Amino acid sequence: MLVHARKPWQFTRILRCARLAHTEREARKDDRWPGWEVVVGIEVHAQIKSRAKLFSESWTSDYSVPPNTRVSPYDAAFPGTLPRLNPQCVELGVRTALALDANVHRQSAFDRKHYFYADLPSGYQITQHYAPFATDGGLKLDNDNTFVRIKQIQLEQDTGKSTFDPLQGLSSIDLNRAGTGLMEIVSEPDMRSPEEAGAYVRTLQALLRAVGASDGNMEQGSLRCDVNVSVNRKGAGLGTRCEIKNLNSVKFMMVAITAEAYRHIEMLERGEAVPQETRGFNEASAETYTLRSKEDAPDYRYMPDPNLPPLLLDEAYIDTIRRTMPELPPATRARLIALGLSKRDADVLMDIDAGRDVGAEGAVAYFDRVAAGREPKAVVNWITHELLGQLAKRRETFADNLISVAQMGELVDLVQVGRITGTAGKTVLRQMLDTRTSDPPSMIAEQLALFSAQSGGDALGAWCAEAVAALPDEADAVRRGNVKVVNKIVGRVMQISRGTADARAARDALLKMLQ
Amino acid sequence: MRLAYYPRCAEPLIGCRAGSPLARRSLSWRHSIETKNANVNAMIYTPREVSRTGGPELPLSGFTVAVKDNICTSAMPTTCSSAMLRQFVSPFDATVVRLLQESGAAIVGKTNCDEFGMGSMNTFSIHGPVVNPYQPADSTTPWFERERRSAGGSSGGSAAAVAAGMCDAALATDTGGSIRLPASYCGVVGLKPSYGLISRWGVVSYADSLDCVGVMAKTVDSVAKVFTALSLYDPHDPTAASSATRQAASEASLTISHSIPSQGSLHGVRVGIPQEYFPAELHPSIVQPVRKMLQHLRSRGATLVPVSLPSTPYALSAYYVLSSAEASSNMARYDGIQYGSYVEPPPGMDKTKTANVYAYTRSAGFGAEVQKRILLGTYALSADAFDNYFLQAQRVRKLIRADFDRVFKIPNVLQEGGTPSSEGVHVLVHPSAIRTAPPLPSRDLDPDAEDGAILDAYVQDVLTVPASLAGLPAVSIPAGVGDDGWPVGVSVVGQWGCDDVVLAVGKICEECN
Repeated sequence: MLVHARKPWQFTRILRCARLAHTEREARKDDRWPGWEVVVGIEVHAQIKSRAKLFSESWTSDYSVPPNTRVSPYDAAFPGTLPRLNPQCVELGVRTALALDANVHRQSAFDRKHYFYADLPSGYQITQHYAPFATDGGLKLDNDNTFVRIKQIQLEQDTGKSTFDPLQGLSSIDLNRAGTGLMEIVSEPDMRSPEEAGAYVRTLQALLRAVGASDGNMEQGSLRCDVNVSVNRKGAGLGTRCEIKNLNSVKFMMVAITAEAYRHIEMLERGEAVPQETRGFNEASAETYTLRSKEDAPDYRYMPDPNLPPLLLDEAYIDTIRRTMPELPPATRARLIALGLSKRDADVLMDIDAGRDVGAEGAVAYFDRVAAGREPKAVVNWITHELLGQLAKRRETFADNLISVAQMGELVDLVQVGRITGTAGKTVLRQMLDTRTSDPPSMIAEQLALFSAQSGGDALGAWCAEAVAALPDEADAVRRGNVKVVNKIVGRVMQISRGTADARAARDALLKMLQ
Repeated sequence: MRLAYYPRCAEPLIGCRAGSPLARRSLSWRHSIETKNANVNAMIYTPREVSRTGGPELPLSGFTVAVKDNICTSAMPTTCSSAMLRQFVSPFDATVVRLLQESGAAIVGKTNCDEFGMGSMNTFSIHGPVVNPYQPADSTTPWFERERRSAGGSSGGSAAAVAAGMCDAALATDTGGSIRLPASYCGVVGLKPSYGLISRWGVVSYADSLDCVGVMAKTVDSVAKVFTALSLYDPHDPTAASSATRQAASEASLTISHSIPSQGSLHGVRVGIPQEYFPAELHPSIVQPVRKMLQHLRSRGATLVPVSLPSTPYALSAYYVLSSAEASSNMARYDGIQYGSYVEPPPGMDKTKTANVYAYTRSAGFGAEVQKRILLGTYALSADAFDNYFLQAQRVRKLIRADFDRVFKIPNVLQEGGTPSSEGVHVLVHPSAIRTAPPLPSRDLDPDAEDGAILDAYVQDVLTVPASLAGLPAVSIPAGVGDDGWPVGVSVVGQWGCDDVVLAVGKICEECN
């Protein structure tokens, strides 16, 4: 993870001011429901990207791991097992809390939340109900000036995974996920539209990835959202909220909020009261449905966990993490733009990073390394236009890129100093991607005879060589004495050089080459 | 009661060199198991071969140890005396079992107990009740036909196995008195160490904040020997006391813990007699042996000091709320899916609710006492009752701790800024039980019918639960017999981490006999 000398905590100052300014959201006009205000709060469960689980030594896993292969006796709740807190989970939690400008508590504690379910082998989940480790944070959204207050962040265990086979009437339980560390990040009801809710989750995803705390992938379940929606008439107090559970993409979350808002408005316009409920979401019909009413809400019988001592975090520990915080997305964007990149280029790089897995080198980091000592705009052009363009043609993503920082840097240099033309540079890039070679670009240019004429960086020789290579029949005709055909090759040189070549000089050079 | 689940020992001892300490002693312990266990029902599993690790130079070489059946062993079943775990064999050894083996001890079997450690009589067990092996010296009836009395619980099997000579020592657990009470009833020594000194990894949880592994043996020396081998920091136990804390406690008690054993005298030792530990329910015949013990301590130089622990009357209620709450949580995992035999819900039951799927298994698999405590604990944790019960009990627990810290001369190293008075005492001494071993309920009687006896069993805990709530070391030492000729025990209780002091005073108590 890249650590920058800039001071990320200066950014938190700005956040703090912004928070004060945004605690009261003013009503916003929305053509979909004139006269109504939609209020959204989100509970995000983000899987902690730690090697081992929260309270056991078994490794965490993704979907590629065969079921029930990463399960320790503790994960399976064997009698006699006891939890042991994984300090890496705490560190990633604290990093997230600092990134969210939350107040990290010197003392917090773990509690048991009880309910019976087949994928919860101990019959309780260890969480931080009474004393979460961080409270009172906030997140400024990327797209506008919306600021969402974060009520609390707590560490807790993930459950196992159950899959039901209706044909056999059997539930299968996979405990690979059981006991994986989660951060529950609870927002205040500060969002006023499905779009703001979507922006909140996307901004949070980018932040979690930037600090290396979570993959934040909704589709793969490493980030899950429960959404609270209420509707009130403009100027009136908050309406009754309903919670929608198990939303597994940002898009569906936004659709679910919209559907829920319309449902509430229809009920309220009919003069009915909205009952407080927990609801599910049907992706096919784009409708929410009742899971359970408030009366059926389970009593989780929270109890302080008698095994785990209080989590004590001293100032020095928190300071160490603060000092080694990676750059946060808003600071990254500001820095890239200060380097001369367009906002669009910065967004292209950062959007790649927003989707990447934690641990893999990101596009921004790649750019930073290639751009060290080079012209940033030239570098970003090569990365965003040429490299990403070529990858896209191959139906590959940045994660598949095999061109090293050194190769990319040399390629940019060769073109910048004029040893090869831009066109030749693209040829070299294609060659590197085609052959997946680790050879330096200069060697490839040499092999392809793409170097410009030796006279002080003149590109003419390379253009001529490329044109000859592209038109072998015409070249042969010239060699046999049909000199008029050389004009066709000159035309190709002009095309390759984007019209920058001297046509007469090109003609002379070609005739010389083909004699 | 004989059980069909597991083979009992029948093979001659294999793997012991002739002349080794184990072989020399094997005759007696093995003979005791073979001849007495069918009657006492202390051991519920004995391996065909008793394996011995390490050489004769190890601290516990040749020592035979029985292990309570709620402590995990990978080579033997761990049933917790529950139908829920009838077939259960743990995939790992408890840390204490590993340490025993590494110290050269031979593990001779698993001992009977109340289901998951819940009970005071060792009658709540799928293996049947333990029958106290004791017989008054003047009795003329044959031993096999002696009066059937309780061995106490929940570690009745461990106490009875020691008393009957089936092992040199037994591991047991104590949550609210489960070691000290059976030790008292069976006439053996039983130590509940300071909470956090001995690892609980591999000990099946009943109430984690109270559960302690302890040792039972015929002598204080044997108890101390095993305790020393087990009292080690274990990173697998999140409640284990750190090496630094152990060191601090050791330093705090240094002057007293060194002078008692070296001089064999109690000069300068202040022994507190807590007035609340002589309740109305205390049987008059207990008082005389206790008084004799106190005179003995004074004769050895101790200063006897009457003290008051005013929160004691609330300890019992707090204990049952907290232990039941934790039990209700810890028992949640026994759902019939992973362990225990699954009981199919009746037709028509809504199986989409997981609780319905588990309910029938849990009703069938848990005994009456465990079910009672699960229900009590579940209620105490429910949203409406939590403040009035659980939180209130936690407050009482703090008061109990503060009571002890106020009377002890040695500071509590777990509490910051504690300034004990110079008027304080080094240890407390009080009766271990309100009576001698009670008769076992008649075999034909439904245990549920005897509500009065069950309530008595709870009252008994008045004397033992305060030390559990405060996490303090307490050892029960035989102190002669009551009017009925059955054993009486006295308890020595010390400040947290002063286990050596408690054992040293206990050793002088032992000489009274």
